[in-house]
Amino acid sequence: MPEALAELRVALIGNPNTGKTSLFNALTGMRQRVGNYSGVTVEKKIGRWALNRDQDVHLVDLPGTYSLSASSLDERIAVDVLAGRVDSHPAPDLIIVVVDVENLQRNLFLASQASELGVPMVIALNCWDVAEKKGLQIDCKLLQQRLGVPVVPTVATRSRGTEELALAVEHAIKAKAMMMRPIWPEAVKNAVQKLHEEFISKRGEALQIGELQRLIFDRNSAVRERLQTPESEYEGIIKEARDQLYKDGFNPDAAESILRFRFLNPLLSDIIERQVALKKRTATESIDQLLLHRFWGLMVFVGMMYVVFQSVYTWAGPFMGLIEGGTGALQNIASDALAGTPMLQSLIADGIIGGVGAFVVFLPQILVLFLFISLLEESGYMARAAFLMDKLFHWCGLNGKSFVPLLSSYACAIPGILATRTISDPKARMITILIAPLMSCSARLPVYLLLIGAFVEPRYGPAVAGTALFAMHFVGALLAAPIAWLLNQTLNQGQQPKPFLMELPPYRAPRFKTLAWRMYESGKEFIIRAGTVIFAMTVIIWALLYFPRSAEVETTVTHSYQAEVATQAGNPSLDEEELCKRIDAAYLEQSYMGRFGKFVQPVFAPAGYDWKITVGVLASFPAREVIISTLGITYALGGEIDEESNDLRDTLTQAKWESGPRTGESVFNIPVALSLMVFFALCMQCGATLAVIAQELNWRWAIGSFFALTAVAWIAAVLTYQVGILFV
Amino acid sequence: MRLDQIKKNGAFRITKVNCANESVARLMAMGLLPGQEVRLTHEAPLGDPIAVAFQGCHMSLRLRDAAEIEVEKL
Repeated sequence: MPEALAELRVALIGNPNTGKTSLFNALTGMRQRVGNYSGVTVEKKIGRWALNRDQDVHLVDLPGTYSLSASSLDERIAVDVLAGRVDSHPAPDLIIVVVDVENLQRNLFLASQASELGVPMVIALNCWDVAEKKGLQIDCKLLQQRLGVPVVPTVATRSRGTEELALAVEHAIKAKAMMMRPIWPEAVKNAVQKLHEEFISKRGEALQIGELQRLIFDRNSAVRERLQTPESEYEGIIKEARDQLYKDGFNPDAAESILRFRFLNPLLSDIIERQVALKKRTATESIDQLLLHRFWGLMVFVGMMYVVFQSVYTWAGPFMGLIEGGTGALQNIASDALAGTPMLQSLIADGIIGGVGAFVVFLPQILVLFLFISLLEESGYMARAAFLMDKLFHWCGLNGKSFVPLLSSYACAIPGILATRTISDPKARMITILIAPLMSCSARLPVYLLLIGAFVEPRYGPAVAGTALFAMHFVGALLAAPIAWLLNQTLNQGQQPKPFLMELPPYRAPRFKTLAWRMYESGKEFIIRAGTVIFAMTVIIWALLYFPRSAEVETTVTHSYQAEVATQAGNPSLDEEELCKRIDAAYLEQSYMGRFGKFVQPVFAPAGYDWKITVGVLASFPAREVIISTLGITYALGGEIDEESNDLRDTLTQAKWESGPRTGESVFNIPVALSLMVFFALCMQCGATLAVIAQELNWRWAIGSFFALTAVAWIAAVLTYQVGILFV
Repeated sequence: MRLDQIKKNGAFRITKVNCANESVARLMAMGLLPGQEVRLTHEAPLGDPIAVAFQGCHMSLRLRDAAEIEVEKL
């Protein structure tokens, strides 16, 4: 073999639930990269597959699709890659069509569409073992003869059949094995020919037969959008062809399906031998009698979601504790090591380690959640969950698949937003991403606990406090529904709602390897983000809280404290700790963030906040849990406190207005506490979530949702306060 | 009769489809063509969507789309 072999490109296509991704993993192992096609959210998976000792193949895993009609984003990418229309992706040298043996006819429809693209093909008959167990026998040789391309039985989950597949691929490329194509009516043949000539002569665009067929058969084909030739120049030919089809007795919209199946059915008629056993109800149907039952199905669903949600909290808890402990220890080490240079010490210990640590602490939750999500998906239950929930969601533009991501967002919006990748309708996915931050994530819990513990519980008792805590968890969700509805009404008016068709795949036992792989992938992505975007934001916020730091502040505070102590009778010794806290508070007041807080305070005055709360709110924009330690510093308690701290509760209850019309009155009362909680429930105070939204959609949406949710939170907080004071 | 009106546990045959509907066009690409047998296997707790079985696969669709498909009792 010559050394300078041109690199071979092979594309993997197939219906959803055929084990296509398992086959991709079996062929490439760890040698794969996941990314996005430029400008769209369709996942792009590329790997290297060693065909034989001398040759590697560039393998592309295309999204699972039932058809190439190119009306969904996934199908569009599939057509574009197969026809070589994606930048930096020349047309593949071969297509492997992954086919589920149990649904041969339906799966071969896709193969037949792909056969018109002029690329050699190999068919992988996957799930061979399941079919054998069910008593399904397929004559591969005969099928191979009839289709004109190699047909290889595989069991992707056990890596069986991969060597045979490699041999078949080599052979098919050499022999240019093309799948048999239907004989089309004259109307179609003529139109294809005319369109081909038209595009070549006018703009020099050479299209494959398969692409031209898409123009004729599909009303809204994405192929139209990428043509340089304007629609007016070829519309006539298409209309003529469709009119002729109609005269020939075919509805042009149905013609392709009818003709292709009419072509495939006789080829398959005597290939499949089913034993009588198959006629009986399958195990999947029996399980579904329970899991899709109108009452019991819902009960099981609620129970399962409860387990998922609980586990995300409880299983992750100890590991989060460990990470927090580790962060703390690291901060101490860094503090000690850098004690000589206070600025560097603060930047590294408080800024970077503290900030990035506060983000990384969510890693265990992410891993647990993705364990469950892949369990639900791999087993086939996810589709059932979406089936049960669909009606609850579809009035506001979402669908049943939005449920799990939104529930996950109660733990943390980040894994929730990542989980929206399972939603195939782009608009529904976008809306789900945008409302996910409104679900009450676990980082809001400390704020609720602190304020309810300080103001609601002492006055109304634990029962009301518990109810208040419960109610706070629904404030965001209640607002999310109308917001989703509004988004659905206004977003992409031109875009048609995508049909909600979903296969309920047979139940399968999830494989450990797949679960581990998905956990690893999600964890890796999360850590990379911690090292880049979060790192940068952390440093910026730290700087705003730290600078300017003139030494005068320290001397002024020390002098005034000394003077204060001197006037006190009886105990004239200086309390070092008290002095440190006062200096910290003074520095914060002097910092850019502190000055900004005072400047912005009038904006938050209608919600009842003084400048210290305002600084707390502003400092919490990167991460909402920061409010606790910031309130601690502004009210001169030092940073090392948490929501359980009685000191902080007491200090908050005793805080008085220092100036303005309400001088001497308590800063905090029930309306202020409620207003602050409502603000935190709704506001997008999470830099990490913003970064994830930017990654999944784009920066425009991230910034837009930031301002929109902040505005909503402000309005709601002001309303809460203004209505609240009427009752106090 | 339309597919959104059928009762559970009966076999039906598709007689006519409105193929201008995008969902229906997709179902046709999966083999749900006139002449095909279907069964209604499940209804969601709130009545919508429904799940139908044909050619060994189970597909969930909303009533709005099912109304575009006409069937006859077998």
